[in-house]
Amino acid sequence: MHVDDPAFWRAGAISTVSIMSVVLVMLTIDSLAAISPGGSNVPLYTVINQHIDYKFDDKRGNDMPVIRGAEPLFGKAVDAAAAEALIDKGKMVIQSRSCIDCHTFFGNGAYYAPDLTKAWLDPAWETWKIITGTKTREDAMVKFLMHPDKYRIWTRAMPNLDITQQEAEALVAYLKWMSAVDTNGFPANFGRMQQKQ
Amino acid sequence: MSEIGLLQSALLLGVYVALAGSYGLVYTIARIQDAISLYRLSLVLYGLHGLTAIAIVAWTPLHIGWKGLIVASSAAFLAIPPITWRLLQRTHEPEVRG
Amino acid sequence: MYRSQKLALKYLTAAITLFGIMTVAGLMSAYYYINPDFLFGILHFNIAKILHIDTMIIWLLMGFMGAIYWFLPEEFGRELVGIKLAEILFYVFFGAVVVVAVVFIVVQYGNSDETALWFINQGRKYVEAPRWAAIGVVVVMAVFAYNVIGTAYVTGKVSGITAVLMVDLVPLLVLYLDAFPAISNMSADLFWWWWLVHLWVEATWEVLIGCIMAWSLMQLLGTSRRIVETWLYIEVALVLGTGILGLGHHYFWIGAPSYWLTIGGLFSAFEPLPLLGMVVHAVYDAGTHHMKTTNRPAFYWLMAEAFGNFLGGGVWGFMMTLPQVNLYAHGTQWTVSHGHFAFWGAYACGVLSVIYLVIQKLRSLTQVDGALWKWSFAALNLGLVGMVGALLVSGFAQAFIERAIGGSTHDAFIAGQSSPWFVEGMVTRFIFGLMFAAGYVALVWDLLTIGKRAPVLATAGAAE
Ligand code: HEC
Ligand code: HEM
Ligand code: HEM
Ligand SMILES: [Fe+2]
Repeated sequence: MHVDDPAFWRAGAISTVSIMSVVLVMLTIDSLAAISPGGSNVPLYTVINQHIDYKFDDKRGNDMPVIRGAEPLFGKAVDAAAAEALIDKGKMVIQSRSCIDCHTFFGNGAYYAPDLTKAWLDPAWETWKIITGTKTREDAMVKFLMHPDKYRIWTRAMPNLDITQQEAEALVAYLKWMSAVDTNGFPANFGRMQQKQ
Repeated sequence: MSEIGLLQSALLLGVYVALAGSYGLVYTIARIQDAISLYRLSLVLYGLHGLTAIAIVAWTPLHIGWKGLIVASSAAFLAIPPITWRLLQRTHEPEVRG
Repeated sequence: MYRSQKLALKYLTAAITLFGIMTVAGLMSAYYYINPDFLFGILHFNIAKILHIDTMIIWLLMGFMGAIYWFLPEEFGRELVGIKLAEILFYVFFGAVVVVAVVFIVVQYGNSDETALWFINQGRKYVEAPRWAAIGVVVVMAVFAYNVIGTAYVTGKVSGITAVLMVDLVPLLVLYLDAFPAISNMSADLFWWWWLVHLWVEATWEVLIGCIMAWSLMQLLGTSRRIVETWLYIEVALVLGTGILGLGHHYFWIGAPSYWLTIGGLFSAFEPLPLLGMVVHAVYDAGTHHMKTTNRPAFYWLMAEAFGNFLGGGVWGFMMTLPQVNLYAHGTQWTVSHGHFAFWGAYACGVLSVIYLVIQKLRSLTQVDGALWKWSFAALNLGLVGMVGALLVSGFAQAFIERAIGGSTHDAFIAGQSSPWFVEGMVTRFIFGLMFAAGYVALVWDLLTIGKRAPVLATAGAAE
């Protein structure tokens, strides 16, 4: 075979594509283990019973979730099955309302509204606690999600999407779990501006 | 990466590829028209591309591995237009003769 | 004319129609950024944007299918197998698109249960269409694959281009099955979702448009089959060789292991290299034919495709693909800038080129030219480049203020969105969007009338 022969390039195309595909499949198998709940990067759903923070890690050189101590959601710890049910429900709400066509999750989606990757940790809930007259962050989130148009703090408001109490609680669980995923440091410097102030 | 470093790096990276493209474009036109002045212009464009590569290596906060990749890509960008040209001529030879 | 070519005309007409709806929905989506109270409580940003991006996918797919239905019978020298089924499915397909759009606009969303996913909205970007419609898409694509593969089987004639096409249809269809599952774990959901999105647009679609462009080159410039096939193989090797693992540039921040930072950055940094080769190739073809062609609009759109692919994919993609930059650029208007430039350059221009080729055959024109196509070409491309430039300014501002300085909180988001750079970028984008829309109107007008109005365009007698 010679470079003038199309068969030469055909053989080249077939072999490159095969090699790359095999490598992709191998990496995928490895990654799926890392990103399943309880894997190296994604926490178990029961992480919603714990305190979650997001801190710069000097060794890794990027921000990382820090999971430490008990902090049950809505004040009551849940078992694995109940946690999974909450997460399943939360994801169904996210899909049925297509939140991802306004917001981003891990930076993927639409850019009309804030990124939700670390929404659980957002300092803005302090403001919303006052506006909604609630004592805890999770209660403020539930109230906001059920009536976002009523508690808007910006010209661009989130519409009311007929979210029920139960759906809102599942969403809060979902956002809390998501904030504990190790995202290799995205978003960077989260909340740093507020800390400096 | 500092905030300004981000914008500088991104702009340099964009200019870097755009100049490689301009070099390839002008190189090809030069070969078609057999115009030595255009050929010189293509080398100037590649020179500018090389300068952006140097700027990226010298000034941006990219890690050393990515900087190596930038330098290696510059070599590839230099070679692609002439190689593609030669291959095009080879494949089109029967057509041009016939 | 073959029946499958008549079907091709239907698909291309549907594609241009949906292109118009996409443009209107795009303008609406852009307008919310300027006036957030627009239609508040009636129809929100997400619905307009879903209509925009879903019609974009569908019109491009229909454009590809139309192009292939047009070229294939000539390739095989016979009618396609199963053409009757394909004809029926066209109406089913188009009807389904209309029903889905009406449901999006009227019903918008359901409750958090499976029914909503089956009948209203699946809520995953680009593949929001409810499951029943997604099944419809699978059936249409399966019959399409059957038309191609079945005819090849019956005639026993498989050229290099059809072989590549047949092999490509398999992953194209299989990847689309990713439009169905609802995986609770967002990391895993996005992991697979990117297989669909990235491996469609940076792998299987590139091959598909490569096949279509190969046929176009043969028709437009009379390039020999041996040459286009050699180049198709080279393109497949290089584009897939870099694009398959280039998938990793979407795995930086979704919870996947950190080795993707290296792999994704490395392979996607290679992606512009073959695109530069394509530019050289396009200029070579243009030069050796001394820009002489009987179909100037098709030729110019073909050139726009090569350059647009390089600029939109290569330059705009490269700017944001290294992880250290992407950490800040990720998920901002910068992404939108790249997405528009790349989709327009790599795919939309190619489909428009084919449509002009088809019109030449259809109306038996010895020469396709005129003034109107130039106006539409200029307005569409300038409009798009203007939008992309404005989005880049907004995107830089957003990456800088929200991501880098502010740390991506709610406050930081507002700070970014309120910065004058960002706001003016959004207004400028809208204005160029209007120019783009004017170009669309001129395009449709031209397609309807070209070859029918100017007497200089002698027609070579009636169709055979
Ligand atoms: C039509 C667009 C739209 C849709 C759909 C939408 N949102 Fe929002 N969302 C917004 C906007 C705009 C804001 C900012 C509101 C404000 O500041 O008052 C927001 C704010 C939020 C916040 C507070 C963000 C922060 O950083 O603290 C959360 C949490 C949130 N949305 C969750 C959701 C969820 C969950 C869904 C789906 C069930 C959803 N949103 C659907 C537009 C939308
Ligand atoms: C009048 C012209 C157009 C306007 C005003 C417009 C506007 C928009 C807007 C506002 C968005 C939403 C971005 C966001 O989430 O903030 C969007 C998304 C998108 N549009 Fe367009 N658009 C236009 C034409 C096009 C064309 C011609 C194409 C492709 C051929 C296209 C492809 C896309 C894609 C792929 C996205 C998703 C990008 C992403 O989320 O990163 N659009 N467009
Ligand atoms: C030619 C075909 C291409 C098309 C049609 C295309 C289209 C797109 C679109 C639509 C998106 C946004 C996806 C979303 O979130 O919805 C995107 C993202 C991205 N593309 Fe491309 N692209 C192409 C080529 C490239 C190339 C060659 C590179 C790299 C050199 C690249 C790098 C990226 C990166 C890094 C992102 C992620 C942006 C982010 O982090 O937000 N793309 N592309
Ligand atoms: Fe990609």
